[in-house]
Formats: sequence, structure tokens, C-alpha cells
Amino acid sequence: MSRLEDELRNALRREEPPEGFAARVLARAAATPEPRRAGAWTRVTRWFRAPVFARAAMACALCLAVVLGVHYEQRQQLERVRGEAAKRQLLLALRVTGSSLRAVHDKVHELSAGYSDAQ
Amino acid sequence: MNGPALAIPIEARRESQDNVTAEAQREFAALVGEHQSMVFSIALHYLHSRESAEEVAQEVFLQLYRHEDRLASREHVAAWLRRVACHRAIDYARRRRLDPRTSLAECPEAASAAAPPDAAGDDPMLRERLRKLVQSLPEKARTVMILRYQEDLDPEEIARTLEMPVRTVKSHLQRSLALLREKLSRARGELV
Repeated sequence: MSRLEDELRNALRREEPPEGFAARVLARAAATPEPRRAGAWTRVTRWFRAPVFARAAMACALCLAVVLGVHYEQRQQLERVRGEAAKRQLLLALRVTGSSLRAVHDKVHELSAGYSDAQ
Repeated sequence: MNGPALAIPIEARRESQDNVTAEAQREFAALVGEHQSMVFSIALHYLHSRESAEEVAQEVFLQLYRHEDRLASREHVAAWLRRVACHRAIDYARRRRLDPRTSLAECPEAASAAAPPDAAGDDPMLRERLRKLVQSLPEKARTVMILRYQEDLDPEEIARTLEMPVRTVKSHLQRSLALLREKLSRARGELV
């Protein structure tokens, strides 16, 4: 600790305000409108307005957004896979139906040719 | 029928509100009593005028009165008051253009062999000169010096109070001390 620092401490030591300072402050405070006292809700939520809670809330919101995004993407992918499977099934069914119709058509044609020959 | 039945709860509520108000005012008065010398001295050492310091200190306490319920706890009150007092003093000086960089020529004579310190080792002239020299510092440096030597805060606490990096606080302290040392030694040299 240097001598200058000691001298500064001495020079800048606290001083009492002029006589009646507190009374003047209280009188001015009494003349101003009554401050709104904190309700129970405000007292509870006051802690959540602290910067640390704001940062934690922001981090939670970010995590939630990431989780929801991943979930949404997974659902989209599942929908796409299901869609592809349904498309394949539909094509197969169309192919089966087409070949069945063709077989029926051939049978009918064959039968009608036989009937014409018999007449 | 309903009149007397309702009157009792309303009266009771009013009484309860009066009690809350009286309690709040007692708490506020206690806070003023506890912190008045700190707030007044910050303003005084910044502005170097007792009238201006009182004005600033009153404004600081009225701001506390209006915002008391928003402070998380009583432990935060001192830190809040320090911060607000510094900012209010800076604003006041800017508004009133009360920022005359005091020249050494305006300072009273420094301590010398001709003016020995009193029995307690306290030299009023040196004290006054140092105060004026502190007042001649730029506003941020001046605030840092006041918080360091009046409030005895360490650089980390000053950094938190003034919301500036610790390195900046240390740099202000070093430069201000060097400047004051140089000015004082120059003044003492001139007197010899």
C-alpha cells in the first residue's frame, strides 16, 4: 500500500450529509405517489426475472426447439417411408388387378370363341 | 343489510394496508439512515459541491423509494445505490456542465514543511488538493477512484458495479494513480 493510496483513502473518506438530510428525503418520498408494492405473484416471479434465469430460460427454449425440430424431422421421414411403402403396395395391387383382368378377359374371349364355333 | 357486513372487512383491509405502508416507510427510513453517508459521499467526491451532492443523493433515494420492490433483496440495495449514485452524479455533472477540470493552480497549497499535518496525521490542505485532483480526472476514472478509495471496493467489485471489464478498472486505477502522483510531486517540487 503506497503512501499516496493512504492519503487518497483519507481524502475520500465518507462524509455525513448535511443536517436534516434524511428528513428531507423522507418528506419528498411522502410527497410522491405511494410506490406500488410488490404482490405475491411479483415477489415469486422476481427471481425468474434475474439474468441467470433469463439465460437458463433461453437455453431451455433452445433445447426444446432442437428436440421439437428433431422430432418433426423424424416424423416427416417416417411419413415418407410409409408413403413409399403404400405406393409400392398400390402399384403391386394394380399389377395384380391388371393381370387378373387380363386373365378374365382372355377366358371370356376364349369362351365366346368356343360358343361361336358351336353355333 | 350488506353495509355493516361489508364495512368490517374493508376497515380491516384498510388497516392492513396502512400497516404495510407504515412498515414500508419505516424500512425506507432505515435504508436512508444506513446508506446516506455512502450515497452523499459518492456524489460529493464526484461533484465537489455539497449542495449538488445533496440534490443527487436525494434523487438516488427517491429512485430507491420508487423501485424498492424491484430489488431482489436488501443485500442488493447497497450495490444498487452505489451504481445509481455514480450514474446520477455523472448525469448531473453532464447536465449542469459541472465538469471543470480543476487545474493545479486552483488547488490550495499542498502539504509542505510549512504546513505540517495535525496530530492525527491529517492534513486538510492535502486532503482538499487530492479531492480536487480526483475531481479533475475523466468521469470513468474518477468514479473508479471514488469506489476504490471511498468504498474500498476491489477491482472486481468495481467492475461489477460500473459494468465494465476488470482490466479497464485496473488500467483506470494505475493511470489515475500515476497521474495524481506526478501532479502531486510536481506541485510539491514547485513549493520547495
